[in-house]
Amino acid sequence: MSKGTQSMNLLKKLISACLLNTAVLFPAYAADKDIDIFRSDFVSGKLSWSEVEKRAREEGTVNWFHWGGSEQLNSWIERVVVPKMADKGITLKTTRIAGTRDAVDLVLTELAAGRELGHGSVDAIWLNGDNFYTLSKQEALFGSFADKVPNSKYFEFDQDNPRAQLNLSDFGTPTQAREMPWSGEQYICYLDSKRLSRANAPKDFVELEIWLEKNPGRFTYVKPPHYIGNTFVQTALYSFNPSGQGYKEFQRPITSFTADEFTKLVQPGFEYLKRIEPHLLGGDTPFYPQNQSVNQSLYNNGEVDFACEFGLYLVHNNIKTGTFSETTETLAFPSSGMIKNKNFLAIPKNAPHPAAALVFTNVMSSLELQISKLKDIGYPLGADIWKLSGAEALAAKAAEPALHGVTADELGRLAVSDTNASLVKVIEKIWVDYIEKKSSLPFGEIVAKQIVSN
Amino acid sequence: MRQPHAKNGNLKSLLGLIPATVVMLVFFVGALLLCIVQSLGYAPQYGINQFPTFQYYQAFLHDDGLWNSLGLTFYYAVVPTLIGAALSLFLSVAFAKAFKGRGFALFVYKIPLAVPYLVGVSIVILLFANGGLFARFFYAIGVISSPGDFPRFLQNAEGWGIMMVYLWKQVPFMTMMLYSNLLVLGREEEESALLLGASSLQIFFYVTLPRLMPALVGSTLIIFAFNFGSFEVPFILGAGYPNTLTVEAWRLFDDADYARRPEAMAIVTFVTFVSSLSILAYLVLYRRFERKRGRV
Repeated sequence: MSKGTQSMNLLKKLISACLLNTAVLFPAYAADKDIDIFRSDFVSGKLSWSEVEKRAREEGTVNWFHWGGSEQLNSWIERVVVPKMADKGITLKTTRIAGTRDAVDLVLTELAAGRELGHGSVDAIWLNGDNFYTLSKQEALFGSFADKVPNSKYFEFDQDNPRAQLNLSDFGTPTQAREMPWSGEQYICYLDSKRLSRANAPKDFVELEIWLEKNPGRFTYVKPPHYIGNTFVQTALYSFNPSGQGYKEFQRPITSFTADEFTKLVQPGFEYLKRIEPHLLGGDTPFYPQNQSVNQSLYNNGEVDFACEFGLYLVHNNIKTGTFSETTETLAFPSSGMIKNKNFLAIPKNAPHPAAALVFTNVMSSLELQISKLKDIGYPLGADIWKLSGAEALAAKAAEPALHGVTADELGRLAVSDTNASLVKVIEKIWVDYIEKKSSLPFGEIVAKQIVSN
Repeated sequence: MRQPHAKNGNLKSLLGLIPATVVMLVFFVGALLLCIVQSLGYAPQYGINQFPTFQYYQAFLHDDGLWNSLGLTFYYAVVPTLIGAALSLFLSVAFAKAFKGRGFALFVYKIPLAVPYLVGVSIVILLFANGGLFARFFYAIGVISSPGDFPRFLQNAEGWGIMMVYLWKQVPFMTMMLYSNLLVLGREEEESALLLGASSLQIFFYVTLPRLMPALVGSTLIIFAFNFGSFEVPFILGAGYPNTLTVEAWRLFDDADYARRPEAMAIVTFVTFVSSLSILAYLVLYRRFERKRGRV
């Protein structure tokens, strides 16, 4: 064979390889009938749970995408969840991601490429807030399942019960049982009692300003649009709500506000944040950490005296691993209300193994795993304590880690709802324009611009 | 006998280029086209289908932050290129002379070439962060009263950290380009100048530098283009705001609202356009310079 034909053959091979690749990348998938019937039968309550479990065993695998930034969580999953799923005849395959957005992107991309139910690659995602909002807005969710799996008995789904709010609404987006509550969180602050005594620590935003004037540079908060930063800003806005109603108005969607109304609602809070800025870490060139781990290192390095983030048992968990000093304590700040929410397991519309995903969410919400998660890694219960029997509730109480300096009652009393997801998007943009970019426009115009562009 | 053989060799080398060309076409030109198309409003996967529209370009061109970001992008790209060029010229000329430990120096200076940028970023953080080694050292010897008092070099708009990483990685690269050029050019002309009584400064400015000019222009061009479009270094070591255009594009791309992605694509297209224009201007100026001194 001459060299020329050899090269031609190589070329042919290359071209066919390219064509093959495109075929793999863009397959024309259509939803299978059988799997669609399964979905509609389950959602309408026609299927018995044993039939779901049987189908799940046939599927054999479930692909769970979760934030993988915690070694404690990852090892708990390997030690506890994987064997439990194996008992059900299902292999749990986890994909650890740095940001939940990656999984949401994957689902949406696959749907755009025509990969429907049974042909995607994500069975379940651990998420809440704007990621759920995105999936919901793009109609990329499997359907109402959470109130139909057997372990839903541990969760309050009764529309008429006000205590069901945390399960029915995720940052103001109605969940419609399209995601299963898995864990809860509350926004807390932590301090080192060696550097700052509890008595001298600020208890609300007004005291924080006075404290900052005396101790310039000893505090900062995570930069929005990171959700930890957004939550701090929301807490401040609640506190300075001119109606005095705190979080109440912030439950409404953005469409229910005029630009003027919204300006009136948030202006005092934003002016406060602007006012304290020169007293934050860095002074004239304020320094806002990018995420909670940078904030924690500022705290550990003695650059700030206290810091805030989500984590009811954060202090306990971090003292245990040696991340925080033994003298670190939880601080109930601010007394005007500390945001509390839940996080969930959602099943996307194009889950490749929907039955196995349903069994997975059921296993994850079993009381055994809920308590094991609380005890082993300090992730609060997703289940609602009043739905448990006396003995079950006692077992859950016994598993609770220490709170270090505050009581569960105190935190419960101060708990308030998270902000509607459609407002969070506007609030973070106002923060970026008004505080970070130091926009020269009048405040009302900044708000109007962001509301219109939304 | 020679003629057909050479022709065959030509065909073969052309065919040999195909894999690289295909990769370039798909991953580079393809991505660029996709980016331009999205920036003009064609992104049905995010529910946007307004092609063609210039609203996404208008959106960021009217943003107050644009000039700030553009200025910083140029600043982080040009300053390390100039400082790096000066350092590399010095080093390459020094390496061309005989001195004690030259073999060792020639080995050591190349090490950063093999190390990825992100490792450089980690080194800078370990050394210069306020909880880093230097902060702790100065605290230990009592120069500052707490590690937190160490001046803040990282994650602010001054960009010291960014430029340190660029220099650490790029000085070895430029030095290697210049030094190998010096080796090829030989030392005859320098030696003649020396014999004719030129001082070492005169030799450098009138003999060495003009001869190194093409290599210097080539290497600074590569460095500038890289720095201009670089993302991860300013993303980690720069301020949240203001920062480079690439980081600004990332912020928009990463927004929970997918409808902002076309605007991110518009910024990326703009970055490509401005950096191509800068490179073109640089080359035109250089050609004019060469024509003036009569080499072209």
